[in-house]
Amino acid sequence: MSMSSAFRRVIRRETHSPRTAAMAVAVVLAIVVLAYIGTEIVLSLLSQPGLFVSPTAAGTWLTGLPDQQPAWAIIAPAALLALVGIGFILLALTPGRLPKHRIVRAGRVILVDNAVIASALAQHLSDHTGIARDRVTVGVSRRVVDVTVTPDAGVPVPDARIRDLIVTELDTYQLDGPVKTRVRPPQQRKGASS
Amino acid sequence: MNDTNRFLNRALLLLIGLMLLGMGAGIITVFVSPAAARWWSTASASAQSWVDDAIRRTMIGDSTLSWGSVGSLAAIVLLIVLLIIALARLGGGRARSLVRTGGQDSPAGRIIIDTRFVSDALRQSLDHRPEILFSRVSVAHVRREPMLHLSVTPRQNTSPRQIADDVDHLLDNLATLTGAETPSYLSIHTGLRSKLARDQRRIA
Repeated sequence: MSMSSAFRRVIRRETHSPRTAAMAVAVVLAIVVLAYIGTEIVLSLLSQPGLFVSPTAAGTWLTGLPDQQPAWAIIAPAALLALVGIGFILLALTPGRLPKHRIVRAGRVILVDNAVIASALAQHLSDHTGIARDRVTVGVSRRVVDVTVTPDAGVPVPDARIRDLIVTELDTYQLDGPVKTRVRPPQQRKGASS
Repeated sequence: MNDTNRFLNRALLLLIGLMLLGMGAGIITVFVSPAAARWWSTASASAQSWVDDAIRRTMIGDSTLSWGSVGSLAAIVLLIVLLIIALARLGGGRARSLVRTGGQDSPAGRIIIDTRFVSDALRQSLDHRPEILFSRVSVAHVRREPMLHLSVTPRQNTSPRQIADDVDHLLDNLATLTGAETPSYLSIHTGLRSKLARDQRRIA
């Protein structure tokens, strides 16, 4: 089915992080630093003492930077600065995909948080096998559904049946793109005799 | 869903990130490598004398002000204003009406359907359902087309297929009511609200 460009745009935007929070932090940081530098310049123009350091003193300090002691007191903040910089660069360049799946319906765009799919699958499994809901853990990622069942006193349910139930239910959701189902081997409870 | 300019977000992040990384890495290099330290001493000394010279040459008349300092101050103020504009432009893009026909389109004349009407109608139906904890309806303009956005937070363990079916049905009804099928986007969310709400009682 061909989709309108408006739909494609909505899907693209809603499945990726806008990076608004990070951008706001970075920009506010930049504004604070610029405002501080501006204040110091104004104070020096008015021949007033600087808030922390006057522009002239800052220049002298910068020139003598390599001889400042102790070195770690300069290097540690510099390393922090560089790390924050790397963080911002990564946020700017990584795609930032949000954990969502698309449900395919004609004429509509439907996006579901992965956690909604996971809890629905777990409930479905619990309803159809009699395994208590809190013994089922389902994790949904972009390509894989992970199912873990903690064994309890009841009759064990074979992995193949669990897999079958999940795959069948998942098919009815009509997600875009193939999703693999993995049933994790049940972990033995501590102290249980096997 | 909003009109935030994401390219600008990322461009600013990249720019500020590169500057921070440059400063941090530069300072460390100057401390670690003697060659860089030597280069820094001569370069920064000549830079400082250039700045001093520039300020002296651009003195305004007999005052203590110089065009150099005033200019850099103006540049800083301009940058701050631009950054504040970038912050203020975040978000936005909500539309007040869903359908807006020209006068000729309909025998009844010009028709405007307010977003609030659509929102009230849909939320009335959605909030009746026990499995739906929270819903929000808004209209945004995407590529100059109105786009209806329904945001729904169901209880935990609710099938997304069931919600999609229900909302499909509601939207079909709405299309009958308003006489036009509007492009729609449904988002099904999880969050603190659904984690804290009690699960529905079930009879197996």
